[in-house]
Amino acid sequence: MLRTALLAPTGDDVLSEDPTVLALEAYAASLFDKPSALFVPTGTMGNLCAILSHCHYNKSSEMIVGKHSHINLYEGGGYANLAGVSAKSVEEDEDGKMNLGDLRDAFRRDDDDHYAKTVLVALENTHNMLGGIAVEKEYVDGIGRLAKEEWGGEVKVHVDGARIFNAAVSLGLGVGELCQGADSVTFCLSKGLGAPMGAVLVGDREFIRLARRARKRLGGGMRQAGVMAAMGMYALENHVGRLAEDHERAKRLAAGLRDGGFWLPRGGKVDTNVVFFGLPEGSRIKKEDLPPLLFEKCGVKIAGGYSSGGKLFRLVTHMDVDDEGVEKAIEGIVSLCL
Amino acid sequence: KNCRVVTSAAQNIINTQPKTFPIHRTGESIPSFPPYLALSRKTFENITMMPSSSHRQSLQVIILSARSSRRRRDFKQCFSRSNNRIALSNCQHHQLARKPITHHDVLSSRQITTSSSFPSTERTRTTTTSIEPLSSFSSSSKNNNNSKITDLRSDTLTSPTPSMLQTALRAPTGDDVLSEDPTVLSLEAYAASLFDKPSALFVPAGTMGNLCAILSHCHYNKSSEMIMGKHSHINLYEGGGYANLAGVSGKLVEEDEDGKMDVEDLRDAFRRDDDDHYAKTVLVALENTHNMLGGVAVEKGYVDGIGRLAKDEWGGEVKIHIDGARIFNAAISLGVSVGELCEGADSVTFCLSKGLGAPMGAVLVGDQEFIRLARRARKKLGGGMRQAGVMAAMGMYALENHVQRLAEDHERAKRLASGLHDMGFWLPRGGKVDTNVVFFGLPEDSKIKKEELPHLLFEKYGVKIAGGYSSGGKLFRLVTHMDVDDEGVEKAIEGIASLCVN
Repeated sequence: MLRTALLAPTGDDVLSEDPTVLALEAYAASLFDKPSALFVPTGTMGNLCAILSHCHYNKSSEMIVGKHSHINLYEGGGYANLAGVSAKSVEEDEDGKMNLGDLRDAFRRDDDDHYAKTVLVALENTHNMLGGIAVEKEYVDGIGRLAKEEWGGEVKVHVDGARIFNAAVSLGLGVGELCQGADSVTFCLSKGLGAPMGAVLVGDREFIRLARRARKRLGGGMRQAGVMAAMGMYALENHVGRLAEDHERAKRLAAGLRDGGFWLPRGGKVDTNVVFFGLPEGSRIKKEDLPPLLFEKCGVKIAGGYSSGGKLFRLVTHMDVDDEGVEKAIEGIVSLCL
Repeated sequence: KNCRVVTSAAQNIINTQPKTFPIHRTGESIPSFPPYLALSRKTFENITMMPSSSHRQSLQVIILSARSSRRRRDFKQCFSRSNNRIALSNCQHHQLARKPITHHDVLSSRQITTSSSFPSTERTRTTTTSIEPLSSFSSSSKNNNNSKITDLRSDTLTSPTPSMLQTALRAPTGDDVLSEDPTVLSLEAYAASLFDKPSALFVPAGTMGNLCAILSHCHYNKSSEMIMGKHSHINLYEGGGYANLAGVSGKLVEEDEDGKMDVEDLRDAFRRDDDDHYAKTVLVALENTHNMLGGVAVEKGYVDGIGRLAKDEWGGEVKIHIDGARIFNAAISLGVSVGELCEGADSVTFCLSKGLGAPMGAVLVGDQEFIRLARRARKKLGGGMRQAGVMAAMGMYALENHVQRLAEDHERAKRLASGLHDMGFWLPRGGKVDTNVVFFGLPEDSKIKKEELPHLLFEKYGVKIAGGYSSGGKLFRLVTHMDVDDEGVEKAIEGIASLCVN
């Protein structure tokens, strides 16, 4: 992957003169069956560009977003404090879906001065905080229909697809099919796909034109970005199929922990490469002690503090985690806690 | 299989004598650079003189056989005349390269199988050596003067050199959002030390560096206001982010032709928090070099004066930020270090992607608490990159190797300016040029209109320039940088003069 960075022809991407970036954007657009795409330094910027481009700063735009979504929880409130958009957060069920009735309740039209106006619904796929859940195509399509048909086609649907390829591999679909009902999608190159950095936003031409402008003023207008885009391209071409291995290892982790009596959401059902777990009632150690002990004794690093009360740990498998690592993790966690 | 063959003669030989080309036989051992078969010195010359296009930075020559000292001398002459950066892949000859690289970084421990016999030059001399440039190299220019393009539109166009790209291969990385990328951390530490500031932050672009500074110096809910130059980059070219993203109002003060805002005007623009009509001044933004006024190097005395104004007169509650996208150009021009030059400021943004030549990136320096807030701002703006060390390594290389050479760019800019000035073009500041930027306007009796100059200049001379600057869009801007050489400067002067002047 690093060698492709050496070979990449580059130019000034702010002037749209970097052929490698243009090639990556064209490829991404074709994968998602959308007209256009934009390479950005991070998924957060992809989401923020989407919000800035779908919403109208001066028209009291409002977005509907999941209560446990990344945009709501982990993007610094940028949708509000940078883009000036208010948000209605709707609780998701344990499969990462927001209830249609709740969405209808949250929706506001522009015929009452009390209200901001709903112009955007943001979905997340895979849904990170609820367990790396692969959200099905039918649901995404359903939200798309809601926006287009019931809500007069004036509400856009954006998918925060940081790990959309994990969802696609898990569901056995192409990302284009999976995101057909959405107007725009952000996906990350820097996560499971393994590139050092970068994400891509895909959508309509006019939308991407506005997103490009948003990217510049957010400070994402990079120059010879082809050096990075080349690695992103390599990741897209070579690292998608192998995500299934990560899912396999995550499932083994989940099964191993569940059999050991740990609490897992969704009865232990794991779709992709993310596993949440909580310590059993009779755990020998406190939750705060697990990460340092696990690292000292087993060389396994994990992160905790998730969910209410900070009770849950999150495990994420990826290409730099092998079978031996999975065994050590299960063994270590079990032997320390039980 | 990875070779690009540039002459019909070479193609002919490959077809008829495949055994003489070890590249084809050894298959995957060759790094997949686009190597070119140089079958004769003339072909080699043509290859190395090809347009400095986007492939240039990876131009690498595999010397299949150059055991004789005469042949080595021949190749050496080609290198020195070439406009491309040549990296040799045969370690015996690395001393011939102008920018030698440790090729084993590229090849790991593989050896290149060298052919013991070059196709004899006698055979190849009789064949045609007309170049059919590959489509990825050919410019749209049909110019006959030469095949090289001189791009004076901006120093953002500098391409990473092979040596610089090598550092990206070797850089240890980690997740920079977790502060676990050692290469980013060392770049930040190095930058902070250069500027004699406590802390630093690597960002994807200078615009983000400035925006993080504004977000961190100013208080969103406290009606913060900033004072900046009317012709500053923050005011003109950053999409109004200081207002529409950071929610800060701006008071614009006109700069003089040396890029300085008058201290009286600053006092007039300043607002304290004792009247509900007013927002509150919390930040003054300076720019050094000042781009739009001509790449002007603003003196240390002035910066220090503004710092004293803020600290002493304004009660120390107003911060000074320098948009130092080209601060190193200013420092070189003034003969001071960046630390000295920016002593009076609280924070500075500088770009790695411009004259310093890195592919992307900038750094913000300042106090510890300020940088902590800036880091948070960077994350929410979408600048929290992961294994950013791949880029930071190249930025570090740029900082360590490309600062002193900026003086060459200034030299070339001055020659451009005096060349144009002598031919009757209008230049600001009476033609005085401090750094690598030159603005000029057409003379009254120009043969052509200003709209026609850029494309005619490119078609006939292979020189790219940008216009539309200043009021009425009358001025052109020329920016010299490491990918512009003396020949390019001559062509530019010659081209512009001959197209416009009778």
